[in-house]
Amino acid sequence: MNSNEAIVVCRCEEVTYGQLRTTAEEYQCTARELKLRTRAGMGFCGGRTCRIPLDRIIIDVLSNVSRSDIPLKYQPPVRPVSFGTVGEKND
Amino acid sequence: MKKMTRLLDHPILGKLDDRKAIPFTFDGKTYEALENETIAAALLANGIRTLRIHEESGTPRGFYCNIGHCMECRVTVNDQANVRACLTVVEQCMVIASGKQHPNIVKRMVEQQ
Amino acid sequence: MIDVIVIGAGPAGLAGAITCASSGLKVMVIDEFIKPGGRLIGQLHQELSGEWWNGIKESERLHQEALKQSVDIRSGVSVYNLEKDDDLWNVHTSIGTLTAPFVLAATGAAEYPIPLPGWTLPGVMSIGAAQVMTNVHRVQVGKKGIIIGANILAFAILNELQLAGIHVNRIVLPEKSPLSGKAGEPEEVMKSLLNAAHLAPSPLLRMGSRFMKNDWFRKTGMRFFPKSGVKVNGTPLLLRKAALEVIGTEQVEGVRVADTDANGNIIPGTETVYEADFVCIAGGLYPLAELAAVSGCPFQYIPELGGHVPHHSETMETPLEGLFVAGNITGIESGKIAMAQGTIAGYSIAKHAGKGGTAIVEQLNQSVKNVHLLRKQAAIQFYPDIESGRRKMYDLWEQLYANPARLHTEEKLG
Repeated sequence: MNSNEAIVVCRCEEVTYGQLRTTAEEYQCTARELKLRTRAGMGFCGGRTCRIPLDRIIIDVLSNVSRSDIPLKYQPPVRPVSFGTVGEKND
Repeated sequence: MKKMTRLLDHPILGKLDDRKAIPFTFDGKTYEALENETIAAALLANGIRTLRIHEESGTPRGFYCNIGHCMECRVTVNDQANVRACLTVVEQCMVIASGKQHPNIVKRMVEQQ
Repeated sequence: MIDVIVIGAGPAGLAGAITCASSGLKVMVIDEFIKPGGRLIGQLHQELSGEWWNGIKESERLHQEALKQSVDIRSGVSVYNLEKDDDLWNVHTSIGTLTAPFVLAATGAAEYPIPLPGWTLPGVMSIGAAQVMTNVHRVQVGKKGIIIGANILAFAILNELQLAGIHVNRIVLPEKSPLSGKAGEPEEVMKSLLNAAHLAPSPLLRMGSRFMKNDWFRKTGMRFFPKSGVKVNGTPLLLRKAALEVIGTEQVEGVRVADTDANGNIIPGTETVYEADFVCIAGGLYPLAELAAVSGCPFQYIPELGGHVPHHSETMETPLEGLFVAGNITGIESGKIAMAQGTIAGYSIAKHAGKGGTAIVEQLNQSVKNVHLLRKQAAIQFYPDIESGRRKMYDLWEQLYANPARLHTEEKLG
């Protein structure tokens, strides 16, 4: 359905379902590459909301990938912090 | 917009105890929160769902997960940006501002080319 | 000096903290929310016995007990990284870096989102968000709502919204797509609801199961599922209607829906708009394991448990020395089970720390048995095959970690 192309999957960076599918189909890529190419999951929440929909798109596009093949990869910080907080020394 | 009401009485959870009213401002207007209420809850009780607009596109956003994961409810509190309205309790005379659209000059220039 | 840092003040974390502290360990609990209790504070349902499970009361009880045991509870503190440095864990938080030899990761669950057109509008929220707003903050989420997605979590929270006098107009399914997965397939949804038919809160589900008692009806049930739905406490559950779009300009004004066939395919020309001022997206729960992931703990995808879970034993230890887990991070179950798992983790940590004397082994065994017992009596079960999911994890643990000597021999032989 056409209206579905416009679904905002990544709310932070406003990356649409259409963009994600097109990119996944063109590059036959990993979830990580899909994120880097589209910025989906790279916004303020760090993919906390859209990670699973992104995985589902990859699984749907790449017939040989199942959910257990996608590694659970997170980068710290898993919560937003100011630079001041990260730089802070423990005393 | 219509004011949402507080659920003062509940058949199992009982009545809300008398909590103190606390004044705060949101985008320059004064509202009342109840003691120990989050910013998101206090604003909703005052009929306000839109907490920010998307930095780039300007689309309106409110809280989505209400437990600190989605970051959709981020507002500016006493000049500190990106504070989660769903996890932050309103304090006396707090100055809260909604998230605004950024004037992304470079992007506009690229678009015009 | 802290012995144990517990991440998450939900039922698992608090129960774990209480057990550790009562064994003589110095415990600090940190949590992002404004008060302790985690998702327990939203929960409210009637047990099969007729008694009410009041999550707020349970949380208060746990909180008081923890304070009595001198547990240091810090609310409103976020953890953004977890890593080990020689013998100590560094827990990086918004109030600085905390260190301890033991960490209990009890970070709970998150909700599966179901993206659809218009879901960024203010007034669209996860169903858990509506639960917290209603039962914890006691603010009305709206005057008239629609739930998108039909599962146990949705029904549990529907009941809670109704109890609070909030009008939920309809429950519809999301449109079938790779984004909605099984949640958009009426037959799959029906199957999972029937699997849960014996569970509370399910006056509807029990009714549904009467409907579909025989196999013939089960197979044809979807085709003959009434267009007007079946009522769940007065709210129509429409398994043959799919949400196409949330409409509105500044905020939610309604949901555009269409009829579907038994397979969830849209029937053209059947579109209609249901007015609403709030929409709840109910995609179900998955274990929230990001902190265990950044710590380097290995993971396994076990759909019966709700998603990726950190490798762990039945006594809640992970392959990383000093890191323990409990509650929904290990698989999606009720708050009662989470609490009982927290107790296991607490005894397990005490044992590793050399506390509790000779009694600790027996206490640990008892606490493991208690989880089995509670699981059998559970009034709420989100994933019907939880038991086999648990077994998978513990078998994997046995294979990988329990007997390294044997593993080594097998490798040589292989």
